Amino acid sequence: MSAPATLEVRGLRKVFFPGTANEVTALNGIDLEVPAGQFVSIIGSNGSGKSTLLNSVAGTFSLSGGRIVLGGRDVTKQAEHVRSRMIGRVFQDPRAGTAPSMTIEENLAISLLRSRRSGLRRGVTNPRREVMRVQLSRLGMGLEGRLRAGVNKLSGGQRQAMSLLMATIAEPSLLLLDEHTAALDPKVAATIMELTAAIVAERGLTTLMVTHNMELALRYGDRLIMMHAGRVVLDLDERQKATLEVGDLIVKFHEVAGEAFAVDRMLLE
Amino acid sequence: MQVIIANALEQGLIYCFMVLGVFLTFRVLDFPDLTVDGSLPLGAAVTGALIVGGHSPFLATAAGVGAGLCAGLVTGFLHLLLKSGESDSTNYGPKLLAGILTMTALYTVNLRIMGRSNIPLLGVQVIFDKVGSFLSLTMIGWNLVLVLAALAIVVKYVLDWLLHTEFGLTLLATGDNEQMIRAMGTNTNFTRIVGLAIANGLVALTGSLVAQQQGFADVGMGIGTIVAGLAGVIMGEVIFGVRSISWVLFSVIGGSIVYRFLIAISLRLGIQPTDLKLLTATLVVVALSIPTVRRKVVRL
Repeated sequence: MSAPATLEVRGLRKVFFPGTANEVTALNGIDLEVPAGQFVSIIGSNGSGKSTLLNSVAGTFSLSGGRIVLGGRDVTKQAEHVRSRMIGRVFQDPRAGTAPSMTIEENLAISLLRSRRSGLRRGVTNPRREVMRVQLSRLGMGLEGRLRAGVNKLSGGQRQAMSLLMATIAEPSLLLLDEHTAALDPKVAATIMELTAAIVAERGLTTLMVTHNMELALRYGDRLIMMHAGRVVLDLDERQKATLEVGDLIVKFHEVAGEAFAVDRMLLE
Repeated sequence: MQVIIANALEQGLIYCFMVLGVFLTFRVLDFPDLTVDGSLPLGAAVTGALIVGGHSPFLATAAGVGAGLCAGLVTGFLHLLLKSGESDSTNYGPKLLAGILTMTALYTVNLRIMGRSNIPLLGVQVIFDKVGSFLSLTMIGWNLVLVLAALAIVVKYVLDWLLHTEFGLTLLATGDNEQMIRAMGTNTNFTRIVGLAIANGLVALTGSLVAQQQGFADVGMGIGTIVAGLAGVIMGEVIFGVRSISWVLFSVIGGSIVYRFLIAISLRLGIQPTDLKLLTATLVVVALSIPTVRRKVVRL
């Protein structure tokens, strides 16, 4: 178990397929400092680099430049699975966060083991089942009575709630949410978002949440970041954020992104 | 008929370790591992060479299993070399190639170990003779079946225990959702390599026992192992069900026995032994394509 940590991102660059015709600069110098316990919403259009930013922090691929410091420790060169002991992640696809052919209790046992080496002791034990029941009952989905059910029997919303629980149950230093409500129907998405906010607030988790939904980004989190073309183009604190509405955000977006659009158009002509 | 049943049981139980190995790679790890065509004769070759060299059949069998473990390690490391940096668990190319390379290399290794293409094990003490004299039983017919069944049950429960440990859960998840288990802090390269080693150790155990039971080790005895193993896995799953890991391990052993029964009956009906591989391959194709065909038919 580890405490929420400060995240520091310095001069982050990521170029996909360098030196080929398909070369894409996904991140073009990102500097970001997230104090411990802060909940940051990240918005931006398709291809703005927001998911690449999350994957870079998680260590899914190696960087083209820059460094990442988590809790005072430089993790830039650390392998994904090593970093994962400190980082909880929830993906957009509800199927991505759980092992479908394993049971609810087996999945949760795995998430309880994060941050320590798994050994040859029994994975699902009665004390662990108790912890699982308590945690599952907070989801309000009745899963606490179905510990031995296969995860593939659950609905998308239930699976995403499980993913959220699995990402946070071992108290990660950092929580990464990659459009984790985008693939759910609106009512379920709202439930999952409320659960997320409650868990993040209760544990004081350092959180980065990527979303397409400007309303979500305004309503949740203590800070809002807008990305465009691999850069941070807008960074609002809680006070600035509170005065804005979706309309204002769109205007802001055109202000900061407009210049880039104009340049694109010039290049085309 | 009694003789056919005892024979099929005996064969099914000897081959069930191989089928369990194929189950571990194909189903648990989602890694179609072709190493098994080489690690089965490897187990036979190592055991055969050591017994002929005057070593204890227990040591020879253990060494055969150890050699199989190493073959699995080699395939695991080759897979690491062959797959591109970014992990994509549904990319079967590097998995297949790693197995094919090890299998091919093992052909030479097996010939080198044996020094020739066939080692007869007649007139020497094999593991069944030792166990038989310890139990004061002649190791033929039902006596042999009982001893093999006991071994199968022990191996089944060891696997069952392993797959329910913390490490076992990460092993199951590696084949089920690699992205998730990596995000949970597990080094899937490690779990995969350990899984491949265990699986090929089991396959080599079958090779070692086959050699000692039929009285010779042969470099060609591994051909078609993967297909026979798949046939056993699929039949076990279809006939006995897959309700839990503990259950499916029994199902797979059952599948191995049923498969050997079918072979015994086919031979009885006058089918040539050389035609069996085509028959087995057809059987696997039919079994694997049933879900696809059923979906197509429903859609029409």
